[in-house]
Amino acid sequence: MGDIRQSLLPRDVLSAAKELLYHLDIYICNMVQSGRQPPQVDSKTLDLIEEFILHTPKDRNTPVRRMSALQELQLLEIMCSCFQEQSRDTVRQLMFSALFNLQGNQADESRMALLSKLVSMAVAVGRVPILECAATWLQRTHRLYCVRLAQVLVDDYCSMVPGSGPTLHNIHSASPRFCCQFIAAVTTLYDLTSEELTPPMELLQMIVSWIQDDPRLVLITFLNSPLSGSQPISSLDVTPLGGLIRWCIKAPLAYRRNKKQANDGSSDGELDAARLFSALHLSVLQVFMLLPNILNEKGLFGRLALLQMESVAALTSDLSRLLDQADKHTHAATSDTHAAPQLALDRLAQALQVAMASGALLCSRGTSERVHFFPPSVFPLSSLLQLVLSGPVMYYNNIHTPPLAYSPHAAHSPIPAHPTLPPHTPHTPLAAHPAPHAQYPAQPFMTGMPFPFRPGH
Amino acid sequence: MSVVFDGSPLKAMQSSHSHTAPAALSAQELSQEIKSFISGVDAVQGRKLGVREHARCAVRLLRSVPACRGAVLEHLRGVYDEHVSTFLHNLETEGNASSGSASNLEDIIQEVHGVLSEFIRLNPRAWAPLVSTWAVDLLGQLSSKHAGRRVAPHSSSLNELLQLWMSCAATRSLMEAYSQCLAAMLAWCPDACVDALLDTSVKHSPHFDWVVAHIGSAFPGTIISRVLACGLKDFCSHGAKDQGPLVEKGNRVPKIGSVVGILGHLAAHHSDSIRKELLRMFQESLAPSTPLSPSSSSTSWEASPQLRRAAVPFLLQLAAMSPNLFGAVSSELVELLRPAVLLQLQALLQGLPREELDNMLGLAVHLISQSPTGGARVLRFLADTATPASVIISGPTPSPHEGVREGCDRLLQMLLLHLHKLVFNRSEGSEVSPFCSTSSQPQRVIPFLEELRSHVAPLCAETLRLERKRHLWLHQLLCLLSVYGGPSVATETLCQLLTQARNPEELALAWQLHATLSSCMAGLVPAAVTHCVAQIHTHTLGRRQLRQLLLNLAAVLQSQDEEKKAAAAGAQSSMAAQIGSAVSVHLHDFGPLLLHGDPAVSHAAVRLLSCSPLPRTASPAHLLLLSRAAVTHFFLALRRRGEAEKAGQDAGQSSEAVSCSVLLLTRFAAYSALTLKAILQQLVEGALHKGNAELFGGQIADMSGAPVASPSVSPDLGASLLDINCRFGTTVNFSGSVWSVFHAGVIGKGLKARTAANLLDPSEVIQNIQTLLAVIVQCCSSSSLNGSQSPSDPEEPPPINAEAAKVVAVTLVENVCPDVANGELSWPPEEHARTTVERDIHIRRCFEAHPVLFHLLQVVAAGRPALCYCSAVLRGLLATLLSHWEGSREASSTDSPWHLQASCLLVSCMGEGQLLPPVLANVHEAFAHLTPFEVRLLLLAVWEYVRGNGPLPQKFVFSSDKGMFCRDFSRDGDVSRYVAPIHSVLHKNIDRLGHLCWRFQL
Repeated sequence: MGDIRQSLLPRDVLSAAKELLYHLDIYICNMVQSGRQPPQVDSKTLDLIEEFILHTPKDRNTPVRRMSALQELQLLEIMCSCFQEQSRDTVRQLMFSALFNLQGNQADESRMALLSKLVSMAVAVGRVPILECAATWLQRTHRLYCVRLAQVLVDDYCSMVPGSGPTLHNIHSASPRFCCQFIAAVTTLYDLTSEELTPPMELLQMIVSWIQDDPRLVLITFLNSPLSGSQPISSLDVTPLGGLIRWCIKAPLAYRRNKKQANDGSSDGELDAARLFSALHLSVLQVFMLLPNILNEKGLFGRLALLQMESVAALTSDLSRLLDQADKHTHAATSDTHAAPQLALDRLAQALQVAMASGALLCSRGTSERVHFFPPSVFPLSSLLQLVLSGPVMYYNNIHTPPLAYSPHAAHSPIPAHPTLPPHTPHTPLAAHPAPHAQYPAQPFMTGMPFPFRPGH
Repeated sequence: MSVVFDGSPLKAMQSSHSHTAPAALSAQELSQEIKSFISGVDAVQGRKLGVREHARCAVRLLRSVPACRGAVLEHLRGVYDEHVSTFLHNLETEGNASSGSASNLEDIIQEVHGVLSEFIRLNPRAWAPLVSTWAVDLLGQLSSKHAGRRVAPHSSSLNELLQLWMSCAATRSLMEAYSQCLAAMLAWCPDACVDALLDTSVKHSPHFDWVVAHIGSAFPGTIISRVLACGLKDFCSHGAKDQGPLVEKGNRVPKIGSVVGILGHLAAHHSDSIRKELLRMFQESLAPSTPLSPSSSSTSWEASPQLRRAAVPFLLQLAAMSPNLFGAVSSELVELLRPAVLLQLQALLQGLPREELDNMLGLAVHLISQSPTGGARVLRFLADTATPASVIISGPTPSPHEGVREGCDRLLQMLLLHLHKLVFNRSEGSEVSPFCSTSSQPQRVIPFLEELRSHVAPLCAETLRLERKRHLWLHQLLCLLSVYGGPSVATETLCQLLTQARNPEELALAWQLHATLSSCMAGLVPAAVTHCVAQIHTHTLGRRQLRQLLLNLAAVLQSQDEEKKAAAAGAQSSMAAQIGSAVSVHLHDFGPLLLHGDPAVSHAAVRLLSCSPLPRTASPAHLLLLSRAAVTHFFLALRRRGEAEKAGQDAGQSSEAVSCSVLLLTRFAAYSALTLKAILQQLVEGALHKGNAELFGGQIADMSGAPVASPSVSPDLGASLLDINCRFGTTVNFSGSVWSVFHAGVIGKGLKARTAANLLDPSEVIQNIQTLLAVIVQCCSSSSLNGSQSPSDPEEPPPINAEAAKVVAVTLVENVCPDVANGELSWPPEEHARTTVERDIHIRRCFEAHPVLFHLLQVVAAGRPALCYCSAVLRGLLATLLSHWEGSREASSTDSPWHLQASCLLVSCMGEGQLLPPVLANVHEAFAHLTPFEVRLLLLAVWEYVRGNGPLPQKFVFSSDKGMFCRDFSRDGDVSRYVAPIHSVLHKNIDRLGHLCWRFQL
């Protein structure tokens, strides 16, 4: 494969890229057919890709070749059809990762740019295979890059081109896997800490309608992934549940704050947002209710924490800060200003309770641990929260199976963990006897729901 | 630059398009659309797309496929370019095909514009940066690509260029899109779009200027501040290190160049806002950094301490690169530099490395020296700030911090050094090549000095305040200025110093200046004096200044005298000598000042003139003028002295004026025969003048019957005819005829009342007479005519010169004796005296009125044989005396004291003048002891002698041993004949006159 460089060199930028793609296709096909294990593209090929597709200067002597925007568009178009025409998933997947898997070198920037454009275009022209590949990419890549890709898509479809929102909306039917990963990325990206990091209304509407239509959407990645535990470091969460909970809980306070900073003219928008977050909260709770069955099916109930204790801790510390600010800002407290913190706390309590009940949050230590997370000095204990905190300890019946290490980013998370996080081991069941009443049954009308996952069509 | 942008058609298009957004296309359609766009062939029908259709397709993609954005915009570049080409082509072919494809494309361009502006409107944050960069870049590309076209005006004619491009739909649309972006972006990140503007401006430098100009004038306030901020950032990141005053920055720091260019364009219409902005930048860079202050939130550069530090060097650099900007700022900058600001500045600059500080200092010095306006203010500021605080001198501003002061001190010294280099290199350059014509070599202009040329006077004034270091600086500066400005400025400066110095220390500055300049400038002093004289003539100097100038000049000259005495020679004395000769040339110009209305001025003038050397040659007219002025001043001075004494004031000055005046007259009289004569004449005339008579104890009697026919008597212009008629006898002049009419009064009313003149204090009169006589005597004796025979004995006063005495005599006669009939020197028989009764009476009255006449006669008598020329007067006086004594019925001569005194004086005078032999001359000693008749007898004897031995000058011979003329009476007839009556009288009164007998021995 490396010997074609000489033939590529004299070509113009576009045709060289085109030819390389062609060769790459053949090369990967051959590789898959020969059944070599592991199917890995060699570094020479990667170099060629970087040189002729991503146009990273190999050394100082070779002049930088740049594609014009038009040529780039042509290349994208070729790639689209290339992926579209490739019938074998494996080949496609390999090719995609050869092109876009981050190598940690200087080519990554142009790689990201090209990938963003490609995915954006695939969304526009509905190229499902590319979206599927991108979903995988999102599963395997560091969350920072995932977030960047999501950012591009949101920019493109929710802000730049008016009226193109429906196009993005369609991805939920085109590729639910991609959609799920997209939601995860988006919830990671917009953490409501500042105005920039507040999701655009259009996006919010889109996500709410997706989840309302199909609550299982957010679990698709989880359902489809093998429980190999080979989750790459610092990748996105396997479900966007944590992010969604964060949105719902922080929204009442964050939106209020943003509104205060801006003008008070957008009460309509705020109302809309409040309604949407309400709906979202309900949907999320419903998703939690789906969980016990699924976990039981997989035999993971009580062993797998879909909701990490750390992220809950981060959330609570965030929340306490927000409450603090809200307190400061509202000395002349009206009923309205009091309602928002209350709402946030109530949602927190609900979410925690349902999560614990559904086995998504493993909180086995009992009240002391919970209270540790919610110091009463900071949290004005709402009656609901109090109830939750002092509620019965959950015991899981499968104490002999160690919980799966499904939280790889606990060690080095790029999102700064809050400093007060106590050293904590979530999986030391102390109780000797299992509690028979521990399992809450799922809602009866949810149980019969068909499994909506359609593997690529 | 004031092209009104009429965007109405575009807006119309835009609104119509915003509603006709195409229905959402399906994925298949979109992918086909992309294919068509890429290949330029309709994917469904398989035919080639026209430019329009292709562009429409692009627009559709822009609306629906975000990923195509870049490609679409790139494609649109081609469309715009094509439109511009067509547009220009149509212009070139006189627009006969204007309705061709261009209009089609215009249509498309409006469509594109509509879409873009809709996007920008809906989501400025996302689109404005994108579109603005694209539009600016495309504009730059278009304008430089088509700059060479035939119809395109030259890039320097900005307005035409603007008109051309704004009439083209493509560029106009781009411009409007950019404006829209800018308007949107100004709210949150103006830097980005201005950055793009600057970058493009650098890339397409002259051709792109119209864009910048247009944008700039559309958003003056913000563009200016943004441009500055961008420039500052760039400056900070690029060139803070390698800045230097004379380093060519063009290629090293590209942005500052275009910043200067842009601001230069805007300066035409918005110089005010530019100035404000620059000053604001300066101020904010100094303001203490408070990250939360509201001002810093508006723009970003204030927040960074690094940028704030770089602001001052940046501004300096800007100013160095653009005289326009510098000029705009410099005038107000100085006002801003209050002590507080200076402290901040110091605090800011302390953090900079030494090398950078030096560079800045050099730059600042360079700027100051190049600043065309406000130099004087800058200088004053620097001097004020750099002057050390002192207890004695409290400046207008409170004393600044010591560090600031030192900084200013250093700056000032550097400035002086720099100017020194500039000035002397410049003149050196012209001297080095004396063979090629120096005039052809352009003299380098130093604006700072150029401007200060008009501030020489204030500078001199400040220098003369002699404040500590300040006057050293200023003096140095004045030297430089003088050298720079050439003779005219040097002259002016010297002249100013001479005019404004108030004491020797201050005057010494003039010496120093002259000492410095004399080496490179010849004829400085004469020119300066000429300049002063010119100023005197044009009355540009006030009284005080005039006086000071004269006093200073006099001081210089006096110092010359002292130097001479001390036998020391140096630069000062040479300057004094030069001044002396220069003043002497202009003596006649100073002359009129003697009569200046202000006593102080005339005093100063007389002091100057009295010590000034006299010119080698002078025209008689000037001499006469001067002598007249000098004499007039003399009498004025006498009068003033009297007034001052009367008022009890300190008479020192007035008496000094008198002595100066005496000195002047003496020296002047000694100058030449002409001046001597003129002065003596005028002195005598003046002494007898009606106005001055009282000074010398004179009483202006009403000369009834005989008008004082002296030309010096001013005619009584105010008299009425009635008045004249009332004065009986004055209407017809009978004098000289046999008729004589006397008007002694109206019958029954007694004698006419004499007008009583206000008499002066006798002692004062004596003093005045003393002074007058001293002057006359000195004039007469110091005359250069007798210079050949210098008195052997210095203690003995030099003899009175005969010629001079003759002048006095003649003048006296002219004044006393109204007509010249019977004016011969020889005397007639006594009986004939009755034919001249009227004249004689007049003469007597003159003597009565002017006691000083006797003193003058004595002077004349001393200058033998001048008294001969007074013969007529003497005769007239004697005749009246004779008739008086004849008619007198008093017992003793002492009963008519005036006549007795007059007789005594007359006879003694004649004796002194050797008109009488000693025997006869002594008779006056007896008069007081005799009866009137006896006095008459003796006087008759005198008459007889004179009649017998005529008073003729030729009877005198010069005796060289005495140094004067003498009359040898032995040659005349026997005296004894005339002595007989004396002896008879002696005999008769031997009891009383015994002791006098020896006086009358032959």
